[in-house]
Amino acid sequence: MSGSPFEIELDELTLARARRGNVRACEAIYRAFHRPAYSVAFRIAQCPDTAQEIAQEAFITAFRKMRQYRGDAPFWGWLRRVVVNHAISTIRRDRSRTTVEWRDDHEPEPPRQEQLGLAMDLEAALALLSPEDRAVVWLHDVEGYNHREIADLFGKTESFSKTRLSRARSRLRDRLQPRKPATAALR
Amino acid sequence: MMGIGRTIMPFELRQRADDPLNLGSLPMAEPPGDGWPAVEAALRQRNRRRAMHAGGGLLAVAASAVLAFSLLLGTPGHHAAAPGADPAAAAAASTDPQTEAIPAPLRAPSLESLIAMSRQLEDRIRSYRAQSGDLPSDVLVYQVELQDLIVQVDEELSMKPDSPALWAQRVNLLLDVTQLYENSLRRDYYRMASL
Repeated sequence: MSGSPFEIELDELTLARARRGNVRACEAIYRAFHRPAYSVAFRIAQCPDTAQEIAQEAFITAFRKMRQYRGDAPFWGWLRRVVVNHAISTIRRDRSRTTVEWRDDHEPEPPRQEQLGLAMDLEAALALLSPEDRAVVWLHDVEGYNHREIADLFGKTESFSKTRLSRARSRLRDRLQPRKPATAALR
Repeated sequence: MMGIGRTIMPFELRQRADDPLNLGSLPMAEPPGDGWPAVEAALRQRNRRRAMHAGGGLLAVAASAVLAFSLLLGTPGHHAAAPGADPAAAAAASTDPQTEAIPAPLRAPSLESLIAMSRQLEDRIRSYRAQSGDLPSDVLVYQVELQDLIVQVDEELSMKPDSPALWAQRVNLLLDVTQLYENSLRRDYYRMASL
Protein backbone atom coordinates (compact mmCIF):
# COMPACT_ATOMS: atom_id res chain seq x y z
CA MET A 1 0.00 0.00 0.00
CA SER A 2 1.25 3.43 -0.79
CA GLY A 3 1.63 5.57 2.30
CA SER A 4 2.79 9.13 2.23
CA PRO A 5 1.83 11.27 -0.76
CA PHE A 6 5.49 12.29 -0.75
CA GLU A 7 6.50 8.98 -2.29
CA ILE A 8 7.27 10.36 -5.73
CA GLU A 9 10.01 9.13 -8.03
CA LEU A 10 12.59 11.62 -9.17
CA ASP A 11 15.20 11.00 -11.84
CA GLU A 12 18.86 11.23 -10.98
CA LEU A 13 19.64 13.83 -13.61
CA THR A 14 17.18 16.29 -12.08
CA LEU A 15 18.67 15.67 -8.67
CA ALA A 16 22.20 16.10 -9.97
CA ARG A 17 21.29 19.36 -11.65
CA ALA A 18 19.54 20.65 -8.54
CA ARG A 19 22.63 19.84 -6.50
CA ARG A 20 24.61 22.03 -8.87
CA GLY A 21 22.17 24.87 -8.27
CA ASN A 22 20.25 24.59 -11.53
CA VAL A 23 17.10 26.65 -11.03
CA ARG A 24 15.06 24.75 -13.64
CA ALA A 25 15.82 21.46 -11.90
CA CYS A 26 14.81 23.00 -8.59
CA GLU A 27 11.57 24.10 -10.18
CA ALA A 28 10.90 20.57 -11.42
CA ILE A 29 11.38 19.29 -7.88
CA TYR A 30 9.18 22.04 -6.51
CA ARG A 31 6.41 21.24 -8.99
CA ALA A 32 6.57 17.55 -8.14
CA PHE A 33 6.50 17.96 -4.38
CA HIS A 34 4.70 21.22 -3.73
CA ARG A 35 1.30 19.69 -3.13
CA PRO A 36 2.38 16.99 -0.68
CA ALA A 37 4.66 19.47 1.08
CA TYR A 38 1.88 22.00 1.42
CA SER A 39 -0.55 19.30 2.45
CA VAL A 40 1.53 17.95 5.32
CA ALA A 41 2.30 21.50 6.44
CA PHE A 42 -1.40 22.32 6.36
CA ARG A 43 -2.35 19.20 8.31
CA ILE A 44 0.05 20.24 11.04
CA ALA A 45 -0.47 24.01 11.02
CA GLN A 46 -4.16 24.11 9.97
CA CYS A 47 -3.71 27.53 8.42
CA PRO A 48 -3.37 27.97 4.64
CA ASP A 49 -1.04 30.96 4.81
CA THR A 50 1.18 29.39 7.44
CA ALA A 51 1.27 26.13 5.51
CA GLN A 52 2.29 27.92 2.33
CA GLU A 53 4.98 29.77 4.24
CA ILE A 54 6.27 26.53 5.76
CA ALA A 55 6.37 24.84 2.36
CA GLN A 56 8.23 27.71 0.72
CA GLU A 57 10.79 28.00 3.50
CA ALA A 58 11.27 24.25 3.47
CA PHE A 59 11.93 24.19 -0.28
CA ILE A 60 14.42 27.04 -0.02
CA THR A 61 16.19 25.23 2.81
CA ALA A 62 16.17 21.97 0.88
CA PHE A 63 17.62 23.55 -2.26
CA ARG A 64 20.30 25.30 -0.23
CA LYS A 65 21.23 22.05 1.44
CA MET A 66 20.90 19.81 -1.59
CA ARG A 67 24.55 18.87 -1.38
CA GLN A 68 23.89 17.36 2.03
CA TYR A 69 21.55 14.85 0.45
CA ARG A 70 23.78 11.88 -0.27
CA GLY A 71 21.38 9.69 -2.16
CA ASP A 72 21.57 6.82 0.33
CA ALA A 73 17.85 7.12 1.10
CA PRO A 74 14.88 8.18 -1.00
CA PHE A 75 14.91 11.87 -1.81
CA TRP A 76 11.26 12.24 -0.91
CA GLY A 77 11.99 11.05 2.63
CA TRP A 78 14.76 13.61 3.00
CA LEU A 79 12.62 16.41 1.60
CA ARG A 80 9.66 15.43 3.74
CA ARG A 81 11.82 15.58 6.83
CA VAL A 82 12.87 19.12 5.91
CA VAL A 83 9.22 20.12 5.50
CA VAL A 84 8.14 18.46 8.75
CA ASN A 85 11.02 20.06 10.64
CA HIS A 86 9.91 23.46 9.40
CA ALA A 87 6.31 22.74 10.31
CA ILE A 88 7.20 21.65 13.84
CA SER A 89 9.48 24.65 14.33
CA THR A 90 6.67 26.91 13.20
CA ILE A 91 3.98 25.53 15.49
CA ARG A 92 6.34 25.65 18.42
CA ARG A 93 7.56 29.14 17.68
CA ASP A 94 4.24 30.53 16.71
CA ARG A 95 1.54 28.90 18.80
CA SER A 96 -0.29 32.17 19.22
CA ARG A 97 -0.80 32.47 15.47
CA THR A 98 -2.81 29.28 15.23
CA THR A 99 -6.01 30.27 13.56
CA VAL A 100 -8.16 27.42 14.80
CA GLU A 101 -8.96 27.69 18.44
CA TRP A 102 -8.05 24.71 20.53
CA ARG A 103 -7.84 23.83 24.16
CA ASP A 104 -5.99 20.89 25.63
CA ASP A 105 -8.60 20.44 28.32
CA HIS A 106 -11.71 21.54 26.58
CA GLU A 107 -15.07 19.92 26.94
CA PRO A 108 -16.81 18.64 23.85
CA GLU A 109 -18.45 21.54 22.11
CA PRO A 110 -22.21 21.59 21.82
CA PRO A 111 -23.29 19.96 18.59
CA ARG A 112 -24.06 22.24 15.70
CA GLN A 113 -26.44 20.01 13.88
CA GLU A 114 -26.75 22.09 10.78
CA GLN A 115 -23.02 21.91 10.14
CA LEU A 116 -21.92 18.65 11.57
CA GLY A 117 -24.82 16.31 11.48
CA LEU A 118 -24.61 13.35 13.83
CA ALA A 119 -20.89 12.82 13.46
CA MET A 120 -18.24 15.44 13.39
CA ASP A 121 -16.31 15.50 10.21
CA LEU A 122 -12.91 13.90 10.37
CA GLU A 123 -11.22 16.99 9.07
CA ALA A 124 -12.96 19.25 11.53
CA ALA A 125 -12.12 16.87 14.37
CA LEU A 126 -8.48 16.95 13.40
CA ALA A 127 -8.53 20.73 13.31
CA LEU A 128 -9.72 20.85 16.91
CA LEU A 129 -6.67 19.04 18.23
CA SER A 130 -3.74 20.95 19.61
CA PRO A 131 -1.01 21.50 16.99
CA GLU A 132 1.39 19.08 18.66
CA ASP A 133 -1.22 16.35 19.08
CA ARG A 134 -2.28 16.83 15.50
CA ALA A 135 1.29 16.68 14.26
CA VAL A 136 1.99 13.49 16.19
CA VAL A 137 -1.14 11.67 15.06
CA TRP A 138 -0.69 12.78 11.46
CA LEU A 139 2.98 11.88 11.27
CA HIS A 140 2.38 8.51 12.89
CA ASP A 141 -0.86 7.40 11.28
CA VAL A 142 -0.56 8.91 7.82
CA GLU A 143 3.10 9.61 7.14
CA GLY A 144 4.24 6.43 8.84
CA TYR A 145 6.80 7.81 11.25
CA ASN A 146 7.51 5.66 14.30
CA HIS A 147 7.70 6.93 17.87
CA ARG A 148 11.48 7.17 17.82
CA GLU A 149 11.40 9.32 14.70
CA ILE A 150 8.66 11.55 16.09
CA ALA A 151 10.54 11.92 19.37
CA ASP A 152 13.63 12.99 17.40
CA LEU A 153 11.64 15.55 15.44
CA PHE A 154 10.28 17.10 18.62
CA GLY A 155 13.49 16.66 20.59
CA LYS A 156 11.62 14.64 23.18
CA THR A 157 11.33 11.08 24.41
CA GLU A 158 9.37 8.25 22.83
CA SER A 159 6.91 8.37 25.68
CA PHE A 160 6.01 11.90 24.63
CA SER A 161 5.09 10.56 21.21
CA LYS A 162 3.13 7.63 22.61
CA THR A 163 1.22 9.78 25.06
CA ARG A 164 0.35 12.39 22.47
CA LEU A 165 -0.72 9.78 19.96
CA SER A 166 -2.97 8.04 22.45
CA ARG A 167 -4.53 11.33 23.54
CA ALA A 168 -5.02 12.55 20.00
CA ARG A 169 -6.70 9.34 18.89
CA SER A 170 -8.93 9.32 21.93
CA ARG A 171 -10.06 12.88 21.29
CA LEU A 172 -10.64 12.22 17.65
CA ARG A 173 -12.78 9.19 18.50
CA ASP A 174 -14.79 11.27 20.95
CA ARG A 175 -15.55 13.80 18.28
CA LEU A 176 -16.29 11.28 15.62
CA GLN A 177 -18.83 9.38 17.71
CA PRO A 178 -22.35 10.09 16.60
CA ARG A 179 -24.00 12.47 18.97
CA LYS A 180 -27.42 11.66 20.35
CA PRO A 181 -30.08 13.82 18.81
CA ALA A 182 -31.76 16.22 21.24
CA THR A 183 -35.10 14.48 20.75
CA ALA A 184 -33.63 11.15 21.76
CA ALA A 185 -32.42 12.66 25.00
CA LEU A 186 -35.96 13.73 25.86
CA ARG A 187 -37.39 10.26 25.62
CA MET B 1 10.57 3.51 -5.64
CA MET B 2 12.97 5.84 -7.30
CA GLY B 3 16.37 4.81 -8.45
CA ILE B 4 18.35 6.87 -6.02
CA GLY B 5 16.69 5.38 -2.97
CA ARG B 6 18.69 2.27 -2.22
CA THR B 7 18.22 2.16 1.53
CA ILE B 8 14.83 1.13 2.80
CA MET B 9 13.67 3.52 5.46
CA PRO B 10 12.08 2.12 8.60
CA PHE B 11 8.64 3.46 7.91
CA GLU B 12 8.55 1.73 4.57
CA LEU B 13 8.80 -1.61 6.27
CA ARG B 14 5.70 -0.98 8.27
CA GLN B 15 2.25 -1.83 7.24
CA ARG B 16 -0.05 1.12 7.34
CA ALA B 17 -2.56 -0.81 9.43
CA ASP B 18 -1.97 1.62 12.23
CA ASP B 19 -4.25 4.32 10.95
CA PRO B 20 -7.29 3.28 12.97
CA LEU B 21 -9.16 6.50 12.30
CA ASN B 22 -8.45 6.36 8.60
CA LEU B 23 -6.87 9.80 8.53
CA GLY B 24 -5.09 8.73 5.39
CA SER B 25 -8.41 8.89 3.58
CA LEU B 26 -8.40 12.67 3.83
CA PRO B 27 -7.57 14.28 0.50
CA MET B 28 -4.40 16.28 0.05
CA ALA B 29 -4.87 19.92 0.91
CA GLU B 30 -4.76 22.23 -2.10
CA PRO B 31 -2.16 25.00 -1.96
CA PRO B 32 -3.70 28.48 -2.20
CA GLY B 33 -1.38 29.46 -5.04
CA ASP B 34 1.88 28.93 -6.81
CA GLY B 35 4.69 29.58 -4.39
CA TRP B 36 7.45 28.95 -6.93
CA PRO B 37 8.12 32.62 -7.83
CA ALA B 38 9.07 33.36 -4.21
CA VAL B 39 11.26 30.28 -3.99
CA GLU B 40 12.88 31.07 -7.32
CA ALA B 41 13.60 34.65 -6.25
CA ALA B 42 15.31 33.36 -3.12
CA LEU B 43 17.40 30.91 -5.14
CA ARG B 44 18.45 33.54 -7.66
CA GLN B 45 19.35 35.90 -4.86
CA ARG B 46 21.57 33.21 -3.42
CA ASN B 47 23.17 32.62 -6.82
CA ARG B 48 23.87 36.33 -7.11
CA ARG B 49 25.47 36.34 -3.69
CA ARG B 50 27.61 33.41 -4.78
CA ALA B 51 28.61 35.35 -7.86
CA MET B 52 29.56 38.26 -5.64
CA HIS B 53 31.70 35.94 -3.57
CA ALA B 54 33.28 34.71 -6.75
CA GLY B 55 33.95 38.36 -7.61
CA GLY B 56 35.70 38.78 -4.32
CA GLY B 57 37.81 35.81 -5.22
CA LEU B 58 39.10 37.15 -8.50
CA LEU B 59 42.65 36.73 -7.33
CA ALA B 60 41.98 33.06 -6.97
CA VAL B 61 40.56 33.01 -10.47
CA ALA B 62 43.77 34.53 -11.74
CA ALA B 63 45.62 31.28 -11.28
CA SER B 64 43.11 29.30 -13.31
CA ALA B 65 43.04 32.06 -15.92
CA VAL B 66 46.76 31.84 -16.35
CA LEU B 67 46.45 28.10 -16.58
CA ALA B 68 43.75 28.47 -19.20
CA PHE B 69 45.90 30.71 -21.32
CA SER B 70 48.87 28.46 -21.02
CA LEU B 71 46.73 25.51 -22.02
CA LEU B 72 45.23 27.34 -24.94
CA LEU B 73 48.27 29.07 -26.27
CA GLY B 74 51.48 28.16 -24.61
CA THR B 75 51.67 24.40 -24.46
CA PRO B 76 52.69 22.80 -27.73
CA GLY B 77 51.86 19.36 -26.46
CA HIS B 78 48.37 20.50 -25.77
CA HIS B 79 47.79 21.40 -29.40
CA ALA B 80 49.28 18.12 -30.45
CA ALA B 81 46.73 16.38 -28.30
CA ALA B 82 43.96 18.19 -30.08
CA PRO B 83 44.05 17.19 -33.71
CA GLY B 84 41.67 19.22 -35.75
CA ALA B 85 42.33 22.43 -33.94
CA ASP B 86 43.02 25.22 -36.35
CA PRO B 87 46.78 25.99 -36.15
CA ALA B 88 46.31 29.28 -37.95
CA ALA B 89 43.76 30.38 -35.42
CA ALA B 90 46.04 29.32 -32.62
CA ALA B 91 48.91 31.24 -34.17
CA ALA B 92 46.71 34.25 -34.65
CA ALA B 93 45.58 34.02 -31.09
CA SER B 94 49.15 33.93 -29.90
CA THR B 95 49.78 37.27 -31.58
CA ASP B 96 46.48 38.74 -30.51
CA PRO B 97 47.11 41.92 -28.51
CA GLN B 98 44.74 40.59 -25.92
CA THR B 99 46.90 37.60 -25.31
CA GLU B 100 49.86 39.88 -24.90
CA ALA B 101 48.08 41.00 -21.76
CA ILE B 102 48.11 37.62 -20.11
CA PRO B 103 47.75 38.44 -16.48
CA ALA B 104 50.69 37.81 -14.27
CA PRO B 105 50.20 35.06 -11.74
CA LEU B 106 48.07 36.14 -8.79
CA ARG B 107 46.96 39.27 -10.55
CA ALA B 108 43.25 39.45 -11.31
CA PRO B 109 42.61 39.10 -15.04
CA SER B 110 41.02 42.03 -16.78
CA LEU B 111 37.50 41.91 -18.10
CA GLU B 112 38.79 41.90 -21.69
CA SER B 113 41.08 38.98 -21.05
CA LEU B 114 38.29 37.00 -19.39
CA ILE B 115 36.01 37.61 -22.36
CA ALA B 116 38.78 36.59 -24.75
CA MET B 117 39.43 33.45 -22.72
CA SER B 118 35.76 32.62 -22.71
CA ARG B 119 35.61 32.95 -26.49
CA GLN B 120 38.68 30.82 -27.05
CA LEU B 121 37.54 28.13 -24.67
CA GLU B 122 34.26 27.95 -26.55
CA ASP B 123 36.15 27.54 -29.82
CA ARG B 124 38.19 24.79 -28.27
CA ILE B 125 35.12 23.00 -26.94
CA ARG B 126 33.54 23.16 -30.40
CA SER B 127 36.67 21.62 -31.81
CA TYR B 128 36.68 18.86 -29.20
CA ARG B 129 33.03 18.12 -29.85
CA ALA B 130 33.77 17.66 -33.52
CA GLN B 131 36.58 15.23 -32.73
CA SER B 132 35.18 13.19 -29.91
CA GLY B 133 32.50 10.58 -30.16
CA ASP B 134 29.72 10.20 -27.64
CA LEU B 135 30.73 10.93 -24.10
CA PRO B 136 30.17 8.21 -21.51
CA SER B 137 26.81 8.68 -19.78
CA ASP B 138 28.27 9.72 -16.43
CA VAL B 139 30.47 12.30 -18.13
CA LEU B 140 27.55 13.42 -20.25
CA VAL B 141 25.43 14.07 -17.16
CA TYR B 142 28.18 16.25 -15.72
CA GLN B 143 28.66 18.02 -19.02
CA VAL B 144 24.93 18.81 -19.19
CA GLU B 145 25.04 20.16 -15.66
CA LEU B 146 27.95 22.40 -16.53
CA GLN B 147 26.18 23.65 -19.63
CA ASP B 148 23.13 24.46 -17.52
CA LEU B 149 25.26 26.45 -15.15
CA ILE B 150 26.80 28.30 -18.07
CA VAL B 151 23.29 29.17 -19.26
CA GLN B 152 22.54 30.53 -15.80
CA VAL B 153 25.68 32.63 -15.81
CA ASP B 154 24.77 33.88 -19.29
CA GLU B 155 21.39 34.95 -17.98
CA GLU B 156 23.13 36.93 -15.27
CA LEU B 157 25.56 38.33 -17.81
CA SER B 158 22.71 39.61 -19.94
CA MET B 159 21.90 41.91 -17.04
CA LYS B 160 25.48 42.64 -16.00
CA PRO B 161 27.62 42.25 -19.11
CA ASP B 162 30.61 43.97 -17.54
CA SER B 163 30.85 41.88 -14.42
CA PRO B 164 34.35 40.37 -14.15
CA ALA B 165 33.04 38.00 -11.48
CA LEU B 166 30.46 36.53 -13.85
CA TRP B 167 32.94 36.27 -16.71
CA ALA B 168 35.36 34.57 -14.34
CA GLN B 169 32.64 32.09 -13.40
CA ARG B 170 31.97 31.48 -17.06
CA VAL B 171 35.66 30.84 -17.78
CA ASN B 172 35.91 28.41 -14.90
CA LEU B 173 32.86 26.50 -16.06
CA LEU B 174 34.18 26.38 -19.62
CA LEU B 175 37.48 25.11 -18.26
CA ASP B 176 35.58 22.32 -16.53
CA VAL B 177 33.85 21.40 -19.79
CA THR B 178 37.18 21.50 -21.64
CA GLN B 179 38.65 19.20 -19.03
CA LEU B 180 35.86 16.69 -19.58
CA TYR B 181 36.54 16.52 -23.31
CA GLU B 182 40.30 16.37 -22.83
CA ASN B 183 39.98 13.50 -20.40
CA SER B 184 37.67 11.72 -22.81
CA LEU B 185 40.06 12.24 -25.73
CA ARG B 186 42.95 11.07 -23.57
CA ARG B 187 41.09 7.91 -22.65
CA ASP B 188 40.35 7.26 -26.32
CA TYR B 189 44.01 7.85 -27.19
CA TYR B 190 45.26 5.37 -24.58
CA ARG B 191 42.65 2.84 -25.62
CA MET B 192 43.79 3.07 -29.22
CA ALA B 193 47.46 2.96 -28.20
CA SER B 194 46.93 -0.22 -26.22
CA LEU B 195 45.50 -2.10 -29.20
